[in-house]
Amino acid sequence: MKEIENLLKEAMGQNRRTLSEYESSRLLMAYGIPTAKGALGRDWDEVKKAAAKIGYPVVLKVCSPEVSHKTESGLVAVGLRNEADLEAAFKRIGEASPVKDADCLVQEMVKGGRELVVGMVRDPQFGPCVMFGLGGIFTEVLGDVTFRPAPLVESDAMEMLMEIRGNKILGAVRGMEAVDLDSLVQCLMAMGKIGMAHEEIQAIDVNPLIVRGNSPVAVDALVILKSNNGI
Amino acid sequence: MIRKLDSFFEPRSVAVIGATSGRHKPGNDILLNIAANGYSGELYLVNPKGGEIMGKKVYCSIGDLPLGIDLAVIILPAILNPQAIRECALRGIKAIVLAAGGFSEVDEEGRLLQAELEAVVKETGVRVIGPNTSGVTSTPFHFTSSFFPLGRIPRGHISYIAQTGNFATHTMRYIATGEHYGVARVVGIGNKVDVDESDVLEYYATDPETESIFVYLESLKSPRRFLEIARETTRRKPIIMLKGGSTEGGSHAAGAHTAALASDDRIIDGALKQAGIARIYKYSHLILAAKALSAMPLPRGNRVSYLAPSGAMLVAMTDMCQKYWNLEVPALEESSRSRLQEISPPYIRMRNPVDIWPSAIVHGIEFAYREGMEAVLKDPHIDAVVPILMITDETGVPDLQFVVDLARKYPGKPIYVTFSAEKKHMEAAKAFLEPRGVPTFPMIEEPFEVLSILEQCRRYMDRDAAKKGAI
Repeated sequence: MKEIENLLKEAMGQNRRTLSEYESSRLLMAYGIPTAKGALGRDWDEVKKAAAKIGYPVVLKVCSPEVSHKTESGLVAVGLRNEADLEAAFKRIGEASPVKDADCLVQEMVKGGRELVVGMVRDPQFGPCVMFGLGGIFTEVLGDVTFRPAPLVESDAMEMLMEIRGNKILGAVRGMEAVDLDSLVQCLMAMGKIGMAHEEIQAIDVNPLIVRGNSPVAVDALVILKSNNGI
Repeated sequence: MIRKLDSFFEPRSVAVIGATSGRHKPGNDILLNIAANGYSGELYLVNPKGGEIMGKKVYCSIGDLPLGIDLAVIILPAILNPQAIRECALRGIKAIVLAAGGFSEVDEEGRLLQAELEAVVKETGVRVIGPNTSGVTSTPFHFTSSFFPLGRIPRGHISYIAQTGNFATHTMRYIATGEHYGVARVVGIGNKVDVDESDVLEYYATDPETESIFVYLESLKSPRRFLEIARETTRRKPIIMLKGGSTEGGSHAAGAHTAALASDDRIIDGALKQAGIARIYKYSHLILAAKALSAMPLPRGNRVSYLAPSGAMLVAMTDMCQKYWNLEVPALEESSRSRLQEISPPYIRMRNPVDIWPSAIVHGIEFAYREGMEAVLKDPHIDAVVPILMITDETGVPDLQFVVDLARKYPGKPIYVTFSAEKKHMEAAKAFLEPRGVPTFPMIEEPFEVLSILEQCRRYMDRDAAKKGAI
C-alpha cells in the first residue's frame, strides 16, 4: 500500500486531476481487482518488447494523465495480431496524440461478450459510494446502475448485482457461462476499500470490466483526484 | 438505565417559558395540550407579567425558577432565544425545546441568529431540539410540547421523526381525529442546531414503547451515523422513510461516468437499502402503513390473496401486484381451493385471487366472505389477505364481526380491508373494524401498497438469514 500512497502523493503534488491508466491499473491490482496485463513503453523498442512479453493479440493506448477519452480521439488500437500491426498502430497513435512522446501502454487483449462497470464516487453527504452496472456504452445509454455507501459487506455487494434491471446478463446467457459472482463481489468490496482508504480520490470508473469466460477483468480505469482546493 | 434524551421524552418537570393566558396563542395552546394529555409531572410557567394562569403561579423570570427542572419549552421571539437558553442553563435545565421560527429558514439575519444559538448550545452544554419546531410528543409519559391545538393524542407504538412542523401538528391532528391508531413518540426536529435525526433514531431504537419508526426528512445532518443506527435497528424494528426534496446536482466531479450517474436519488436509494430502511414516495403512506402496523403483524412474506366482487378488480390488482408492488399472487393449496369451490356455484372454477361474487349471490355476502377469507387465511402459501368488501344498500350490509373474529383466529397474517361500497357503509365499516383491530383503506390500491412496503421491511429484517439471491 505504501507504493499506492506514494503514487497518489506524487500525483497530488503535481496538481494532477487524474492518474494515468497505468497508474490506475496499479491501484486496482494493489486492491486485488483482476486487471488486464499491461506494460509501459517509452519508445518503439520498449513497446515491441512489452508486446512480445504479454503475447499477441494486444491493445495499444496512449498513456498520459493529460489524455482522456482516448477511444474518441483515435488513441487506442485494439486487436493487434502481430508486430507489423503493432508498428503501424504505434506510428498512427504517435501522430494523433496531443502529447508528444507520451508513454504507450501495451495491454493484453481481453475478449468477452459482456461489459460491466464498477465505480466509486465521493458523495458530499454519504462519503465514498460504490457503483455497479452495465458497462461499455450501455453505462451512458441506459444508466442501469446502482450505488451503496462504502464500506460494503458481502451481502451489500451481492444485492447490488441482483438489483440492476439487466441482472440476467450475469447468468448463463447465449451459451456464455454464468459470471463468477464471488469474484464480482470481491471487486465491489475492493472498490469500497479504495474509497475508504484514499481521501485524495474523488471518483473511479472501471469501464469496461469485461467478463472473460466467467471472470471479470478490469480493462480500462480512470481515477479522478480531488483538486487541491478541495472540489 | 438513563438514556440520552430521556429529559425530552420523560420529563419529571417542565417549564414553559412564554406561557400566556391569551387564547389561541402558542404559549396558551401548549398549556391546553399538556392538560389535555394528562401530564402528571411538575409544570412551571414563566411570563414577565407574573400572576396566575389556569390557577397556576406564573414566575416572572427564568431566574426565579427552582433549580433542576428537566425540560424547558421556550416559546419566545427568535431574538430572545440565546439569552433564554443561557438563563435556563443557569437554573440547571439540561434539555430545551425551541419553538420559534425565524432562523436560518428565513434570511441572513436568521442564519446569524442560528449560528449564535449553536454557539450558546456548545457553551452551556444543554441539549436542544429545534428551533422552528413544535418539539416532542410522548404519549407513554402523557406529555407534549406542541403549541398547536391537538387535544388528547392517542397512545400507540408507532414513533415518528419529522422534519416539518406540519407533521407534529396538522397531520397529528388528522391521525388523532381521523384514524384509530396511536403514537408513542413524535419529534419535529426543526432546524437541528443540536439534536438531529440520528440522536432521535438512536433513542427510538432502544425505546420499548416504539415498535416501528416512520421518518420524514428533507436533509440528513449526520447521514453515515443515521445509516449505521438504522442498519442495526431494522433487524428488530421496521423503519419506513419518505425523503423529501433533493439537493442541487453538479457537486460531483465531472469527467467520470460514476460521478455523472451519482444522482442524489440513486445514492439515497442505495443508502436506504443498505440500512434496511423501506423507502416510500407518498406522504399518505406515513399514515397508512403506520395504521397497518399498529393493528396487524408484519407480513411474513409477499404472497397475497384477495377476494373481490368484480373480475375487473381481480385482473387489475393482479397486474399491479406484479408490475409495481413486488407482490406474489400464488396458487393455493388444493385443499383451500376445493373449499372455495365448495362454497361457489359449479360454473366458476375458483382460484387465487378469489372471485367471491358467485358465492355471495348463492349464500349471501357474509357467508361468502367469511368462508372465502378463512380458506385463504389457512393456506400456507398466503402471507396476507385483502378482502374487497361489497357493501351497498341493495346488495346488503353484512355484520362485520366475522372479520374481527377471523383476525383474532389467525393473528399471524395481516388482514387489510378495502371496499367496493357506498361511502356511508365504508365509514361505518371503518368505525366498526378499526377500533377492533382491523385496518381499513378507502382506496383499493392502498392495502397492496402498504403490503408492498411492509414486505420490504420483512425482507430487511430477515436478511441475515436469507441466502444469496439467485438470478
